[in-house]
Amino acid sequence: MPSSTSSSEGALALPRAAAGRNAPDRYARATAADRPGIAQPVPARPVPEQPWGRILLGAALIFVALLAGWEAYWRAYGVTPGINSNSGLWALQRHRIDMGEGNATVIAGSSRPFFDIQLPVWERLAGYRPIQLAFEGTSPLKFVEDLAADPHFTGRLIIGVDPQVFFQGFGLHVDALAYTRKESPSQRIGQWLSMHLIEPYFAFDDPDFALQTVLARQPWPPRPGRLWPTQVRKLSDHEADRNTHLWSKVADDPQYRELARNIWRQRFQPAADPPPAELRRTVEEQIDRTARAVAKLRARGVQVLFLRSPSDGEYLRYETRLFPRATTWEVLLAASGAPGLHFQDYPELQGYYLPEWSHMTRAEAERYTVALYAVIQRDFWGAHTGATSAPR
Amino acid sequence: MVFNSLTFIAFFACVLVMHSLPFGWTTKKINLIGASYLFYSAWNPPFVILLWVSTVVDWYAAQGLVKARRQAARHAWMLLSVVANLGMLGYFKYGQFLLDNFTSVMSALGVAYHPAHYDIVLPVGISFYTFATMSYTLDVYLRRALPAQNLLDYALFVTFFPHLVAGPIMRPTELVPQFETPRRANAQQLRYGLALMTIGLFNKVVLADSFLAHVAESVYDGDKVPGTLDAWAATLAFSGQIFCDFAGYSTTAIGAALCLGFAMPDNFRFPYAAVGFSDFWRRWHITLSSWLRDYLYIPLGGNRHGARRTYAALMATMLLGGLWHGASWTFVAWGGLHGLYLAAERGLRARFANYRPGPLVFVALGILTYALVNVTWVFFRAKTFAKAWVVLRGMFGQSGTVKPILDTFSLLSVLLIVGGMVVTHWLMRGRTLESVIARAPAALVSIVWALLAFAIVIAQGAGSAFIYFQF
Repeated sequence: MPSSTSSSEGALALPRAAAGRNAPDRYARATAADRPGIAQPVPARPVPEQPWGRILLGAALIFVALLAGWEAYWRAYGVTPGINSNSGLWALQRHRIDMGEGNATVIAGSSRPFFDIQLPVWERLAGYRPIQLAFEGTSPLKFVEDLAADPHFTGRLIIGVDPQVFFQGFGLHVDALAYTRKESPSQRIGQWLSMHLIEPYFAFDDPDFALQTVLARQPWPPRPGRLWPTQVRKLSDHEADRNTHLWSKVADDPQYRELARNIWRQRFQPAADPPPAELRRTVEEQIDRTARAVAKLRARGVQVLFLRSPSDGEYLRYETRLFPRATTWEVLLAASGAPGLHFQDYPELQGYYLPEWSHMTRAEAERYTVALYAVIQRDFWGAHTGATSAPR
Repeated sequence: MVFNSLTFIAFFACVLVMHSLPFGWTTKKINLIGASYLFYSAWNPPFVILLWVSTVVDWYAAQGLVKARRQAARHAWMLLSVVANLGMLGYFKYGQFLLDNFTSVMSALGVAYHPAHYDIVLPVGISFYTFATMSYTLDVYLRRALPAQNLLDYALFVTFFPHLVAGPIMRPTELVPQFETPRRANAQQLRYGLALMTIGLFNKVVLADSFLAHVAESVYDGDKVPGTLDAWAATLAFSGQIFCDFAGYSTTAIGAALCLGFAMPDNFRFPYAAVGFSDFWRRWHITLSSWLRDYLYIPLGGNRHGARRTYAALMATMLLGGLWHGASWTFVAWGGLHGLYLAAERGLRARFANYRPGPLVFVALGILTYALVNVTWVFFRAKTFAKAWVVLRGMFGQSGTVKPILDTFSLLSVLLIVGGMVVTHWLMRGRTLESVIARAPAALVSIVWALLAFAIVIAQGAGSAFIYFQF
């Protein structure tokens, strides 16, 4: 703190030699730090002498040119403008349940039910469009617990079980729930503006192409002592109601497809496995909490259906090794008492093309949705079966 | 709403248009008040009531102060203002903290006290506007200033959106006179104001949020024990993040006000080139440090009552300054460390009154100041003392053999951004931004402006809140 009586106390003086190098600054001004114990006057806010009109025009032109170049670069890379999947978009769908659509069919889960179930196809078959609440890299558990605690929700619930994410309790986007509860009017307006004025027109506006993300994934020399896994790249395109499908580049560009597979392969190494005891504890906790949430939902009359979506190739082998069906899926169904639909039990839900072994192409997802809806209607939700039908 | 959001861009465009329409000055001020309430209610509409309470209480307290004939009555009006403002601040910001500490004390005394948990939402910016309104009654009480001529000007001083939620903490004498006569930015002010907003948002969106925040988070919010390099990199990253975040906010606020034709005071003056801690506090968050000096340190006696009283006033000011930043003992420790630094510096300056450092020692003292400031940032950033010790042990090489946490890119980001920032602060140490811009070729200013704006857009900030909103 400077002295109460003198403003000169407080800083060591700059050595004379160094101070003399600077010409007097005609924009220099005192601050409140220089005026102790008095009423502070109206501050000075000088504008540097420059042709600001020309500067602004020049800056605007350069800015537009840079932005056009950046946009062209990403379009050439194969990106098309689309809606961003973020907490704000998720919140819009979650709010629907509280705003009169409590009896809707809701899809929770991770990326597979998110990418693979095509809402327009479902709507064409069923006459209604489900609410898509699945989120990539995120276990549905907390979202299901939230629905269980919400008396507004009385509809039907599909809970996607992607073994690695579900049983390990991954929570990449679990913040979406807190965001939804605390969303401010400003954030809602911002989401609307972004969805209507920015995202539909600019391809570069995607988290995967943000400046820091792009720079961070350059081939920097590795730091000795630890391996940093390559982060998951853009895999999907989204629409305003969160209808989602695999990005066509994953299927069409062999190099990009191989990159996506290599990113998954990082997880498949036994060295990357969690310690067995820790994994067992996590699996048990996820099952136990899910069973409790499902019990609450079913007590309220909500029809719950677990869904194990297709996976393929090395991914399926990895899941079979680390999350054997008998000790995970079957235990979950037994603990919750809710029915489950496992793709391996239904020939019509097998044989789809999954370019990176985890998600279907858009065309395949449309075909799959038709088959999935038929199975669900026939064996689970059809009038003659009721909600408690067992899987075959 | 936050400055780094689409909502603010739309809001600000509307405000600029409204302010340029040919309305009367009173109508324009009413527009600005309405816009400011809208700005604040965009977070949480009910909290606008707190703004009204703060405004009305201090308005009437100041009126009462002027009319009061007896000293006791003046005291009473001043106390009404202080109690009302600090009461609101205390309830919303420190209520849970006080309850938690009371419970801990009871537990230590063997009393099992289990109060009901009440989830108090902290109204954004409450620490800032309560300090601004208190300075109004305190200036009138101390006979430094006369009260505002009308409620409209005073209400606009409290709510004026550029400074409302995170400063600079304005004094009524700085802003109320600007509302007395019609003001509208000329073309030069408007353009320079936009340039300042671009600089501020670049600091926040690109440097703080995109490149530095996650480095600090990786170490401070993770469960791994950091080695020396990681602990220092994360702490340096936080030093850069908090400067870019807060100075970015202040610069954007100053630019927004200038676009409307109003002047706001400097809040930062290249603080990482400070030599000594009194110098640091003349450069860092100037409007808070001068507020604490004028309304706390000086009333506590300042340096007028001997060395012991001076040191006591200094420590009390800095401890309370720490607590102002957050309801946690780690913030108190941060303030306490700064108090100790200031006290030690004061002692050394008295002991070596005639010492004048040469250029090399001068720079070395500056580096020492920055390093010691970084030690204080550990307590500011860590959520618990346990975490602070873990990071401090890492910084001083006491973590043993541990695995690295940060990758090469994170380390390079810190080196380039924070290194560049410290060098820039030293180059700008005795200058103003305006003098550098005035000397630069116009084409270069255009190019830099465009690059900053381009970086803001392609960084795709998520509209995250400014760190100081929580204070």
